[in-house]
Amino acid sequence: MAETVSNRPVGLFRQGSSAEKRKKRSEALTAYLFLLPYLFIFLTFTVFSIGYAFYLSFTRYNLLRPPEWWGLEGYRRVLCLEALLPRAEDAPPLACDDLFIKKALPNTVKYTLIVVPTQTVLSLILAFAMDQKLRFRRLFRTIYYLPSVTSSVVISLIFVWLFSPLGIVNQLFNLNINWLNDPRYAFYTIMILNVFTTSGTLMLIFLAGLQDIPTAIYEAASIDGANKFQVLRFITIPMLRPVVFFVVTVGLIGCFQVFDQIYVMTSGGPLDSTTTVAYLIYKWAFRDTTVKMGQAAALSFILALIILVFTLIQRRIIEGSGSVGSA
Amino acid sequence: MKTLLKWFVPLMVLSLLLAACQPAASPTPEKVIETVTVEKEKEVVKTVEVEKPAERAVVRLSGWAASPEETALLQSILLDFTVENPDIVVKYEPITGDYWQQLKTSIASGVEPDVFYMDIFQFPAFVRDEVLLPIDDLMAKEGVKRDDFIPSLIDAFSDGGVTYGIPKDFNTLGLFYNKDLFAQAGVAEPTDDWTWDDLKTAAEALSDPANNIYGLGVPADPGRFPIFVFQNGGSIMTEDYSDTLLDSPAAVEAATFYTDFRKNQIGAIPADVGEGWQGTVFGKGQFAMVYEGGWLIPYLKQQFPNINYGVVTPPAGPKGEGNLIFTVAYVISRNSKNPEAAMRVINYLTSEKAQTKVLESGFALPTRLSLQSNEYLKTNPASSAIFRGALQGARPFVWGLVGSDVNEQMGKALERIYLENQAVDASLKQAAQVIRQKIAEVK
Repeated sequence: MAETVSNRPVGLFRQGSSAEKRKKRSEALTAYLFLLPYLFIFLTFTVFSIGYAFYLSFTRYNLLRPPEWWGLEGYRRVLCLEALLPRAEDAPPLACDDLFIKKALPNTVKYTLIVVPTQTVLSLILAFAMDQKLRFRRLFRTIYYLPSVTSSVVISLIFVWLFSPLGIVNQLFNLNINWLNDPRYAFYTIMILNVFTTSGTLMLIFLAGLQDIPTAIYEAASIDGANKFQVLRFITIPMLRPVVFFVVTVGLIGCFQVFDQIYVMTSGGPLDSTTTVAYLIYKWAFRDTTVKMGQAAALSFILALIILVFTLIQRRIIEGSGSVGSA
Repeated sequence: MKTLLKWFVPLMVLSLLLAACQPAASPTPEKVIETVTVEKEKEVVKTVEVEKPAERAVVRLSGWAASPEETALLQSILLDFTVENPDIVVKYEPITGDYWQQLKTSIASGVEPDVFYMDIFQFPAFVRDEVLLPIDDLMAKEGVKRDDFIPSLIDAFSDGGVTYGIPKDFNTLGLFYNKDLFAQAGVAEPTDDWTWDDLKTAAEALSDPANNIYGLGVPADPGRFPIFVFQNGGSIMTEDYSDTLLDSPAAVEAATFYTDFRKNQIGAIPADVGEGWQGTVFGKGQFAMVYEGGWLIPYLKQQFPNINYGVVTPPAGPKGEGNLIFTVAYVISRNSKNPEAAMRVINYLTSEKAQTKVLESGFALPTRLSLQSNEYLKTNPASSAIFRGALQGARPFVWGLVGSDVNEQMGKALERIYLENQAVDASLKQAAQVIRQKIAEVK
């Protein structure tokens, strides 16, 4: 940004020099040339795909027949607001799917509200611990980071065994809970799994943030006679605010899109207790015998919108509560 | 250097652009190929003998790959076919992973194989959307007769008197029972003539909940429960699939009988003993009886070789016999360029010779009536019981277009009864209402 601002007046005053201009243009051309391969991939696999999905969200499409224009009907069926109104016992069946409004959305919001704070706090504590001069610090760091580099499918399978009725968790705590088959517990099991896998990465990010804080500030604080708690409260946490914003945002997006653990562990069951928005999109698009590709596409855009809104709200909160500006 | 770069850059851009355009430009070369074949056909008329080997019809064949052994067997049968039919090239392209997702996306992009597996459960949608080629004329040309196949199977792959697929194999449910547990409890082993009462009495005598042993597996599985509805004279869907009968008295009664096994602790679901599938529980000797298909036989042989078990057809209910048929057919795509060659491939794969090979390998049951008296079935009573199941009041595992929704709701209805203690009639009513909503959605 700063560069263009300072360059512009120079260009304006030196209008005459065409050699300069040509050089500039050929430089730009070279830049585009280097960008081209990625740009091509980006355009076909991202921009085009999103555009096509947007078109599909206004159609009725089951993959077997060509898409048929439907207008906003797909969005109406996804939202299915009629399902929230009281209905007579013998009323004709609704022509829409209330799984999103009644199960997937509440589940996903609940999941996000529990997982994001938990994993943020936990990884922050871990990062503080790892920032101290502990023995075997590197070993611990590796151990905490290990789940993050392991495939989520593998970890999910390990968790299926850990949390099976006769598994280690029940044996260790002397419980008799059918974790993954009981609608009361299944979702919490997946939450535990997710906190377990992501905390390592977030810890690493916090750790980088902690080590980025200049020691001069700490030294100044100690000269002023600040105690440990005051240092944490008035220096470390405010200085970490941009990192917190990043961690919360990434966590938020990840939580709203949680899919693979559910696909592997519960397939949305038992009794839809673990059906999330992302899983519902997959279910509509590929799992059902009546493929609802249009509806699934519509839900994808609704999900993107929800994530956007939540990110903006959260940005307001984090920026509003302190003076640390651009994150 | 500068001038070189000046020329080089646009050239690179141009070449990249051209490369990028290639996929889009592919229809043109395709057209060229077509005209060439037309010319060749003309030549064929003149010199039949010489030109024939030059234009071999290509038939692409796809299915899921159930196991490496099964794939190897299919490939060996295909090899025999190629030897006998030098004018046809069969390209076998098995799909690993999610078969239906990949098949449907390949249909959406118009690159589906000529011949592919079709599960009866998915059949209605493919017929309605006119993906499948009617094959009656091709069958007549190739000399394939409907009468040669088990009627309930070939009928399952027909719609409005039109045949769309040749059943390749099938499975039904049998009552698998653990002979050792029966001997221990001093209960007489089941026979084909058992009824619901016998089943209940035996389950009571066999169960020992304190030691995690239960008489009967009663999973919340839409692939097991419906046979009880059939045996009680009911049905899951109406004849034309326009409505569900899941909340009819016959279905509610059947569900009560089914779920009471667990309620009275003489039956259980696999999750109760920490498993996902009751086949494993049966192998471990914790369920004395389970309703499973022929797929359990090779599984037990591999995982639990020491188990001593038998199989009979499912016990009859108050209204007689009832069973489910799981079946898969070979179908031809409407877009196939070589439907005749495709039909010849299918005919070979479902011929008596090929099916005998499959039968003897123990993977699946043959769909041809003539193999009913095959030696293999006589010496393998377990497979024989599964085969007999198709001939006694069995109905295909298909619930119309909303099949997966019906399955899901049936499973949930049972789960609600099991896990949330909901009343049977209320749970089935709730399921039926959702199914009606789904049917309304499809219309």
